[in-house]
Amino acid sequence: MTASILTVDDSMSVRMTTRIALTGAGYKVTEAVDGLDGLNKARATRFDVVITDLNMPNMDGLRMIEEFRRLPNQIGVPILFLTTESDAALKGRAKAAGATGWLVKPFEPDQLVRLVQKVLAK
Amino acid sequence: MSNPDPVDIFRIEAAELLEQMEQGLLDLEHRLDDRTLVDAVFRALHTLKGSGAMFGFDRLAAFTHHCETAFDRVRKGLAEATPELVSAVLDARDHMRALVEDPSGDHADEERYLLERLQAAVSGAAPLPVASPADGPVAAAVPASPTTWCIRFSLPENTLVNGTNPLSFLDELRAMGECRVVADRSALPPLEKLDPTALYLAWEVTLTTDRSRADIEDVFLFVMDDMTLTIEAQADSASTPEPGPSATISADGPLAIATEPSPDRPAPEATARPANDTADPRLRRKVESVRVPAERLDELMDRVGELVIVQSRLQQIAATSSDMGLRTVSEEMERLCSELRVTMMVLRMVPVATLFDRYRRLVHDLQRDTGKKIELSTDGESTEMDKTVIERLADPLVHLVRNAADHGLEPAEARAAAGKPEAGSIRLSARQTGGEVIISVTDDGRGIDRARVRTKAEAAGLIQPGTTIADQDLLQLIFQPGFSTASSVTNLSGRGVGMDVVKKAIESLHGSIDLTSRPGEGSTVSLRIPLTLAIIDGLLVRVGEGHYVIPLPAVEECIEISQEEDLRSRGRAFLSLRDTLVPFIRLRELFATSTKPDPYQKMVVVSTGDEHVGLIVDQIIGHHQTVIKSMSKLHEDVTAFSGATILGDGSVALILDVANLISLGQEQEAQLRAIA
Amino acid sequence: MNKPALKTKDVQDAPIEEIEALTFEIGGETFALEAAIVREILDLLPETIVPGSRPFVNAVINFRGKVIPLADIRVAMGMPTVATTIDSRIVVVEMDFDGMPTLVGLRTDKVNEVTALSMVGSEPPPRVGLRWPPQFIECLIHRGGTFIIFPDLKAIFASTGRSSQPD
Repeated sequence: MTASILTVDDSMSVRMTTRIALTGAGYKVTEAVDGLDGLNKARATRFDVVITDLNMPNMDGLRMIEEFRRLPNQIGVPILFLTTESDAALKGRAKAAGATGWLVKPFEPDQLVRLVQKVLAK
Repeated sequence: MSNPDPVDIFRIEAAELLEQMEQGLLDLEHRLDDRTLVDAVFRALHTLKGSGAMFGFDRLAAFTHHCETAFDRVRKGLAEATPELVSAVLDARDHMRALVEDPSGDHADEERYLLERLQAAVSGAAPLPVASPADGPVAAAVPASPTTWCIRFSLPENTLVNGTNPLSFLDELRAMGECRVVADRSALPPLEKLDPTALYLAWEVTLTTDRSRADIEDVFLFVMDDMTLTIEAQADSASTPEPGPSATISADGPLAIATEPSPDRPAPEATARPANDTADPRLRRKVESVRVPAERLDELMDRVGELVIVQSRLQQIAATSSDMGLRTVSEEMERLCSELRVTMMVLRMVPVATLFDRYRRLVHDLQRDTGKKIELSTDGESTEMDKTVIERLADPLVHLVRNAADHGLEPAEARAAAGKPEAGSIRLSARQTGGEVIISVTDDGRGIDRARVRTKAEAAGLIQPGTTIADQDLLQLIFQPGFSTASSVTNLSGRGVGMDVVKKAIESLHGSIDLTSRPGEGSTVSLRIPLTLAIIDGLLVRVGEGHYVIPLPAVEECIEISQEEDLRSRGRAFLSLRDTLVPFIRLRELFATSTKPDPYQKMVVVSTGDEHVGLIVDQIIGHHQTVIKSMSKLHEDVTAFSGATILGDGSVALILDVANLISLGQEQEAQLRAIA
Repeated sequence: MNKPALKTKDVQDAPIEEIEALTFEIGGETFALEAAIVREILDLLPETIVPGSRPFVNAVINFRGKVIPLADIRVAMGMPTVATTIDSRIVVVEMDFDGMPTLVGLRTDKVNEVTALSMVGSEPPPRVGLRWPPQFIECLIHRGGTFIIFPDLKAIFASTGRSSQPD
């Protein structure tokens, strides 16, 4: 069955480019525009991977990750966050909130796809 | 709004990246050993390559890839940054821009040439010591022959819950070479205490691979901070097992995250700059911003304009109403509209720096083309102007900068002979006075040769031989079409000077252009541009039955004229004001008003920066916010007014163009004197 | 009335010799303009004089928040000015100046109707013997015993403002 990915980012161009990369690799993509939107969508369906930005209005990525981990239907789902620099402290906080891994922006589409493949491997 | 075309979005981002690249390279030229600049340029190349590939700009991606590879040598310290390199990359960048605009063009030869130049610039140079502060020592050389490693790792209990699948690590290790995996079940609790979502296993993997230790550590990148990991080389190495990065913690309980990467672990992925590097202010300048199409801003301006009009009608109604609630609301509305107005004004204003920055590249190229050393300096870059006005100044300024470089500045020998520094100076400055912004281009070159101007003007029929003419007027002849001070047309300035084109462009912005020059010392061209905000503050006055608005920034003071003064000043053109003589214009006369004059006339003293003039009106009504409506083409010939506005009662008031009024008044006065 | 009252005719059917026109009166004469350029007909509005403007376009009005010029064909034609009456109207037309679509108001004594006018038999203005400057007239049409005058607005607005030829 095709893996289903939730992408959460308030930047339209980032959502667009990740969508293009992921659907090109055969995945199904659902988009959300901020943490709140992401959570709403997550309550409705279980996803195979979540990719999220950290800096967003309404609810930022860290909060969303924390709340996401409380959802009973999303146990064990890998959450990847996008970060711009090698900010160790931020990565630590995101991991503490429950994130699985990260991808550094700017990234190339195949980098993203490889990362998704890696976390999806069973 | 319809769905934006992804390619358009890419184009916008590409333009930004190319701009960053250019500015970074120009900065690098002045600070050749600044590693942060090298990193920034490299990052831009890298991103452009990636996005280009993503959106189908294959030629761009391929070309940029080669440039990136070459530039990577500099980044790694294997080649030095030199002025030739900067030039080569700048030219390559131009080609990248061409490829963004026209991805299908055929430029194989050009590309080959550009890449050869680039290669030449990065090869054979002595390697730079790798001194970048955040770079750890370069990763240890990859062992050429396969090594056997013993890898032991264990992860926190909540690893699975947080989406990590440890089996994927095993898969990755298996992909690197021959593996033997043994699971360590010692932490498994009895069945009744088993939490199905918790991880109790640890592993020991024996891996034979020719990949480096760093590659092995990379597998565990995401969990590195939370796990225990040991990687021991077996067999040959007599070295004691080197523990992996600082281990963590208990299997349960909160994770204590180790944030210090161990010294021999190379920096992951992106460039290893400390996150808050503030060495280059330009990098920090990336503030949160939103891209808005300019027409949307215009629409918003119109709506706000209409809101201001309606609000002032509300104000009029409230002023004569006894309803306290209404009056309160009206005051509140006034305050909000005023704040909204300020916000709107600010939205469209951008600092002149965005304009001045473009000329750095121009001057760089001019130096190459003229063979002269030129130093560009700027002043007042934070002065703000309306975005569209700035766009329209771009080309005229190119002309002026080119002229200064081409004709104004002397070649090195002449400068040395004159005792001037070898590098010629071109200075761009901006400042705001009253309702105008003044932008100047100053050079310290040879100045304007009056005799040559005279000769050219006579040859062009602009002036009769033998007539005397004031110096300023002589210089102004340069702006007449058909004039040129260059004895030959140079490649740089195209058809010659093009000053008439510059003048037209400035006048279309309702601005004016001035030229001052001292022979042997240099010249300054000044552009005066009125601030064209759609909403301005004005002083509302009445002349006869008509209402007029005077832009408040131009108003200096208001005076009532006593009847004796009024009588005394008839037939004269000056009024005495606190020991100075102020020339004045009776607007009633200028506008041929036929109604009876008010008994006490009022004078509004206005200034155009350099000149003061008093405008005499029947009544000064007061401060009035106005939305400027432009006059139609049918009234283009009426220069006394720069626009119109609608008052609270729906009637129309004309907005006075102070500078033009003054000239009109002076003309009229000259005519009167001629008759007298 | 908001829109030019162009009847939708099939292009193939419409005889080229007929156009929709708005007829109106100034100084006892009947004028007409192509309905396609007419935007609106207004009752008289307060006018603001523009000092220094050419006499035939000496004022502006507030038309729905826009400040548009108010022109007087009467002045261009050299007719004597008269007081306004309750029938006086302003006809707002849209014209192109240097590529910019511009709204212009025209003073009239009376607006008649929008009607189809047959252009068959239209004549250019005679060079002599006409009361008004021929350069400001596009053509004349016979109808029911009188002439209808099509003014050449572009020519009028381009002129410097000197009025009629000598009587």
